Amino acid sequence: MAIIEAADLRKVFRRIVRQPGIAGAIGALFSREYEDKVAVDDVSFSLAEGELVGYLGPNGAGKSTTIKMLTGILVPTSGLLRVAGIVPSAHRQANAQNIGVVFGQRSQLYWDLPLRESFELLRSIYDVPRDRYLQNMRHFAEILDLERFLDTPVRQLSLGERMRGDFAAAMLHDPKIVYLDEPTIGLDVVAKEAIRVFIGQINRERGTTVILTTHDLADVERLTPRIILIDEGRVIYDGALERLRTEYGTHRILVVTTVDLPPEDFAVPGAVVEGRENNVVRLGFDRRSLTAEALIRRVLERYAISDVSIIEPDIDTIVRRIYLEGYQKDAVGAPS
Amino acid sequence: MQTRRMANVYRQYWRINILTTLEYRENFLIWFLFTFIYHGTAIASLWIVLERFPSMNGWNFRDMFFLYALWMVAHALHNTFFSTVGEIPDHIRDGEFDRLLVRPLDTLFQAIATPGQVFPDELVLALITFVAATLYSGVHVDAVFIIFVPLIVIGGALIDLGLNLIISTAAFWFVKVDALRWIFIQLEQEFTRYPLSIYSRSVRLLLTFVFPFAFMNYFPASYFLHKHEAALGVPPAAGLLTPVIGIVFVALAYVFWRFGLNRYQGVGH
Repeated sequence: MAIIEAADLRKVFRRIVRQPGIAGAIGALFSREYEDKVAVDDVSFSLAEGELVGYLGPNGAGKSTTIKMLTGILVPTSGLLRVAGIVPSAHRQANAQNIGVVFGQRSQLYWDLPLRESFELLRSIYDVPRDRYLQNMRHFAEILDLERFLDTPVRQLSLGERMRGDFAAAMLHDPKIVYLDEPTIGLDVVAKEAIRVFIGQINRERGTTVILTTHDLADVERLTPRIILIDEGRVIYDGALERLRTEYGTHRILVVTTVDLPPEDFAVPGAVVEGRENNVVRLGFDRRSLTAEALIRRVLERYAISDVSIIEPDIDTIVRRIYLEGYQKDAVGAPS
Repeated sequence: MQTRRMANVYRQYWRINILTTLEYRENFLIWFLFTFIYHGTAIASLWIVLERFPSMNGWNFRDMFFLYALWMVAHALHNTFFSTVGEIPDHIRDGEFDRLLVRPLDTLFQAIATPGQVFPDELVLALITFVAATLYSGVHVDAVFIIFVPLIVIGGALIDLGLNLIISTAAFWFVKVDALRWIFIQLEQEFTRYPLSIYSRSVRLLLTFVFPFAFMNYFPASYFLHKHEAALGVPPAAGLLTPVIGIVFVALAYVFWRFGLNRYQGVGH
């Protein structure tokens, strides 16, 4: 059953056109020209209950605007949107009870007070029954290791600790859906790992639907089987991360170490020399036309080598390529 | 259900407010000292003026002290319970305002209830001043006085709230509204200090019908002090209308607020 349904979702902002510089700013005081900026352009997707989805795109792609419509902060210009059966902008408060939101750059904790006080406050805001609250607190304290700093003022917490506090805060009222906007931004490796484990655990154990926007592709590789890629307000890919990798990430590199210094005219049919340094040669090839095994055989027929390794395209490279070249339907097949 | 939840949240917010205020004890003490000096200076300057001109349109120092004290209580009541409405523009600018929209409570309620490091110190000071002014001015304390003064004070605080809300709502369009706020704070402070009758007709109209500051203290004080000078031909008993004026003014401000909020959610800012 779909818990989130978005159909032809569109958001147009009206902006004042500003000429650069002080003269332009003064000019804007007297006459204003407006332009329409389409932030989200006919976005459609549907999420099943309990799904964990990565919502990816470069800055200004329309990620935040989409999240703001899903959370009920912004009213869509057109299109249909239902979140757990509710139209968020029409029933903002009812929708708010169903969702949890973590903005990575902004905390909802009270800076000057012990972490515990913020939780108590959220308990009354969401009207969480006392026993349920205590149960959740115990659970989160355990998996997020909160106990150590529950009584420390938030301003004295490290970024990682504060972030863990913010996660618990967003989950206290058992939301059906959580929106995580750049949740690992600025965190160190250990803290990132703790957050990822927590997200995975919440999703598995509680069946919470999770939408994750991020720049850190490691988050996605670790967590989400499905990604939605958005660029210039449009969905350019929606599907399995794995499929994107196998069908779009077709460019592999075979790294060969030769016994003797490789000759100037080093060449292997079906592959392109993409780099060489001393005895190491990098051969680029396309997985659709040549297997690694066949390529290695061709190399062995021509040269004496001591070592080989294969570099698989990482998701970062794939996504960057899609941003740069545009999504080609014939390369991957139409988005489902 | 919703009312009980709001009452709980309100109580929690006040708890947090007092805890944070006490966390910064020095800051609080400096504020308290400032409040004391601020109002003390205002009253002293009234005294100095009326030393030289014993009467201003028939108002002597005792009358004006009462006039000031009445405004002071209403204003302090507003500052204690509604001042955080003035922080809405900052929250719109830094994005914190969105947080209020993803919580299952009315947005304006949250803006009002949000802890703003206020302590009821100004209100206590204002109440003491008011009792002193009442005794000193020789106002006849009867049943009407005892019933109506609290209502008038609440009405006056609502007038302040209405203005605060209108200015904050303007931030949905202009984002930064500091200049606007400064102008209105100055206007209110200048024009509530002296009897309305000393001003020109246009100022009187403005302070009665557009920004009804005159109902915070001038009209009620005229009634209690029996000043039948009928500025604008308003009968003295109009001073008892302050609670109604306060409610109407806040209601109008709220309509404007809803309009601004819809715009924010519709077109961004």
